[in-house]
Amino acid sequence: MPQPPADPAQPSAASDLPTIEFSQRRLPNGLRVIVAPDHLAPVVALNIWYVVGSRHEQLGRTGFAHLFEHFMFQGSRHVRKTEHFSLIQGAGGVNNATTYFDRTNYFETLPSHQLELALWLEADRMATLLDALDQENLDNQREVVKNEKRQSYDNRPYGSFYEKLMAAVFPVEHPYHHTPIGSMEDLNAASVEDVVSFFRTWYAPNNAVLTIVGDVDEEEAHAAVARYFGPIPANPAIRQPAPDKVAGVIGAEMREVVADNVPLTRVHLGFRCPPFGSAQFDALEVASQILAGGRGSRLYRRLVRERRIAQDVTAFGLPLVDEAAFFGGWVTVRPDSDAEACERAFLDELQRLVDEPVTDDELARARALIEASELGALSRVEEVADRLSMYAALFDRPELVNEQLGRYLAVSAQDIQAVARAVFRPDNRVVLTYVPREPDEAVA
Amino acid sequence: MTLEDPAEKGFTTDQDELLDTAEQSDAEAPDRHAPDALTVEPGGATVVLDEGGAEPAGVDLSVLDRRPAAGRPHEYHFPRFERLVLSNGLTVVHANVPGRALLAAQLLLSGGAWTEPAELAGVTVLTGRAMPEGTARRDANEFIEASERLGAEMHADATWETLSASVEVPRSRFGPALELLAEMVAQPAFPGEEVERLRDERLNDLMQAWADPRRRAERVFPETIYDPASPYSRPLGGVPASVGSIDRDAVAERHRQLLDPASATLVVAGDLAGVDVAGLTERHLGGLAPASTRAASQATDDARAAAGGPRVVLVDRPGAPQSELRIGHLGVARKNPDFHAISVLNAILGGTFNSRLNRVIREELGYTYGIGSSFDMRRRSGPFVIRTAVESAVTVPAILEVLRIVRAFRESEVQPDELSGARDYLVGVFPLRFESSAQVASALAGLIVFELPDDELDRYRPQVAAVTAAQIMSAAMSHVRPDELSIVVVGDAAQVEAPLRDAGLGEVTLIPDDVPAG
Repeated sequence: MPQPPADPAQPSAASDLPTIEFSQRRLPNGLRVIVAPDHLAPVVALNIWYVVGSRHEQLGRTGFAHLFEHFMFQGSRHVRKTEHFSLIQGAGGVNNATTYFDRTNYFETLPSHQLELALWLEADRMATLLDALDQENLDNQREVVKNEKRQSYDNRPYGSFYEKLMAAVFPVEHPYHHTPIGSMEDLNAASVEDVVSFFRTWYAPNNAVLTIVGDVDEEEAHAAVARYFGPIPANPAIRQPAPDKVAGVIGAEMREVVADNVPLTRVHLGFRCPPFGSAQFDALEVASQILAGGRGSRLYRRLVRERRIAQDVTAFGLPLVDEAAFFGGWVTVRPDSDAEACERAFLDELQRLVDEPVTDDELARARALIEASELGALSRVEEVADRLSMYAALFDRPELVNEQLGRYLAVSAQDIQAVARAVFRPDNRVVLTYVPREPDEAVA
Repeated sequence: MTLEDPAEKGFTTDQDELLDTAEQSDAEAPDRHAPDALTVEPGGATVVLDEGGAEPAGVDLSVLDRRPAAGRPHEYHFPRFERLVLSNGLTVVHANVPGRALLAAQLLLSGGAWTEPAELAGVTVLTGRAMPEGTARRDANEFIEASERLGAEMHADATWETLSASVEVPRSRFGPALELLAEMVAQPAFPGEEVERLRDERLNDLMQAWADPRRRAERVFPETIYDPASPYSRPLGGVPASVGSIDRDAVAERHRQLLDPASATLVVAGDLAGVDVAGLTERHLGGLAPASTRAASQATDDARAAAGGPRVVLVDRPGAPQSELRIGHLGVARKNPDFHAISVLNAILGGTFNSRLNRVIREELGYTYGIGSSFDMRRRSGPFVIRTAVESAVTVPAILEVLRIVRAFRESEVQPDELSGARDYLVGVFPLRFESSAQVASALAGLIVFELPDDELDRYRPQVAAVTAAQIMSAAMSHVRPDELSIVVVGDAAQVEAPLRDAGLGEVTLIPDDVPAG
């Protein structure tokens, strides 16, 4: 791991950062198990990452990985529909699951003496989910997910930007071309057979990482995992798809103007960029801190505070691992300004990252903020468990949990300039402008 | 995408979360984040599907046949805290939380948006936002850069009860961060151009809120249930007419009114081993002097309900694929003696994923992605509200079903398994809520703001565990009143208006889809 350069201006906060001690083992059926004892509070976080997400969906079945995630709460052989939640809550815990492009994760945080309950629930659905599957559950959860889509995207100002940007930044044959929520049409087409097939294709111990963080005895935790998960057979047929080859850049600027029910114009930008896990992506993360990470950032200072042309600004990367990722941002245009001025000002700031190195002071401030943010994140067992699973599942390197901060701190002004030059090119950008719909325009 | 989760609102019955909810109920924070992963938000009904299943030869899953028993609970106490009083009368409350190297500090000035005049509604929030925009010693950029060099997230904000300045910072930099915090509180410059910019941003944000169905519903609901003269009827951040009249002088005057060390409290939490809390706070805050003018006396009256009884309001949003629903009435103040019974009541009614509301409206009927109820307990009577978003076509059936569930709640006592599930949930998740320094600091701030006894957090778990079905029934009879429920619908009038008028829910007031004045 590269050592961060010393910063003479301030005492380093890195000494405040705890090292996460963990052990990992692999069960004979391929399940990877990570345990990190932490006795600060009598709580424990359990997290399972399955390496399946919207990236693994078939054409015509978009949104399916997420719809499937909902079925994981509809019962299994020994658990009734939705009983998973009542058991965890009755044990004094919280739980949820999320679906993303590259993976799906399931997690519980609960009083530490209830760890076995969570292990049993996760093992039961990994082993016997299909026992509880029926058409009624499918129909019900399909409606729930369609309402999720309406609430999160369709009935929200600017709500279609995510779908539109990903579709423009990645070509139609690329799995990142569509977002995890999928389309209403595809959700309507999902059948019980699809659910069965999806489970049999992807859900098995050899396609998962299980992490336990909290107030547990390390040996007892490993033994309990082996007890509940050891008997579950592996699925030797699982093959992760080969990386999807994609050009480093989009190839041409793409522009779209969308009339929407919004009072303020907003310009969204999207770029194709190197994947999460690469040094270039780390450099982009630091760049986004310098660009838009708070009131001291370049975009806020220039567009919001000084020129007063923007209501708000943002910039972010999406942590995608399949050969390429996404970097984007937006600027909301003040009523007394215009889209063109805001777009130009935003692009000027990106170009400035290409033309000249960021200053030592900007880099030092970004590092200090990233350090503090990591310190906060790693004080929660749920977050530590999630990161251990993530680094093991995506990169086969759970030790990144202790190395990632060092990677951010090692990013130099030259690294940022190099990645900016590679990414912030006119032929690699999507410009999506939302403008207020005229009163007499038809409503979608 | 991770949602602004309506069901999460149901967990809003405790001290520490109350500061947040005042802000949430105004729903001001625009969505500035990157798209996140999709979440499930499950809840539950019961369908027994225990058919057993055949395993391939050699696979023995019998270990799964028995649900494991819980182990022995490990002990937990809310972190100990101590008080000290600085030479100027400022109180410091500090809690040592070992292992939490990111410290959190909050300086609470008493008197929030509740005490501001209606014609300047929003001035306290704007005062908070303007405080980091430059001091007597540094301009806005210099100030923010100085805090960033420390890795310090520093901001000031208002609630109904307080104006507070807070910081989170690694422990190795706590001293300099506290010095900056003191500078921001004692000597804010309130540059005219920055105050004007923040005011314009608030006005623009109100326009944005108008177009967002959730934020629109959050604005109309309190206007519907509160008397217009009651501050709780309006957004915490003010309305266009009041915000438009706020200038630099109004903000500076508001700051002077609230700056009074004798009634202020600094809360500090985190790993304080080796941190000289007494010395650092005396050095940086002990010299804080009262401003020349004193705050107007704290109003002691309670919030008042709107005259004329419950209403049904339909806000037209042509073409909307869903209706945002808010159903509720005036709730209770935080110091209500039924606090613990109300907490358990709400968990059963709509505060958890397997609550009665979510079990039916989501898991049986599929009308929504989620539904939740909450009592937003403030110093005075905050709202009791049920929140959900349903597909437009089922708007009226969903409302009728919600009303049926609420009425049924008062018709028979809760079931023993519901009661034990809700109590065990609230007791069990208690330690999960205080993992970070900031969470501990917020809980301590709640004790100060709501004038609760020092052992309130220690008594929480035994008191919740002791709540009976009879106490819940009694609380429901007092605090859940079906005949007083107002209903706000933000949805497509073309689809919703006629069935809503035909539903026999009372007279329907239609608010057309026009552009806001001002």
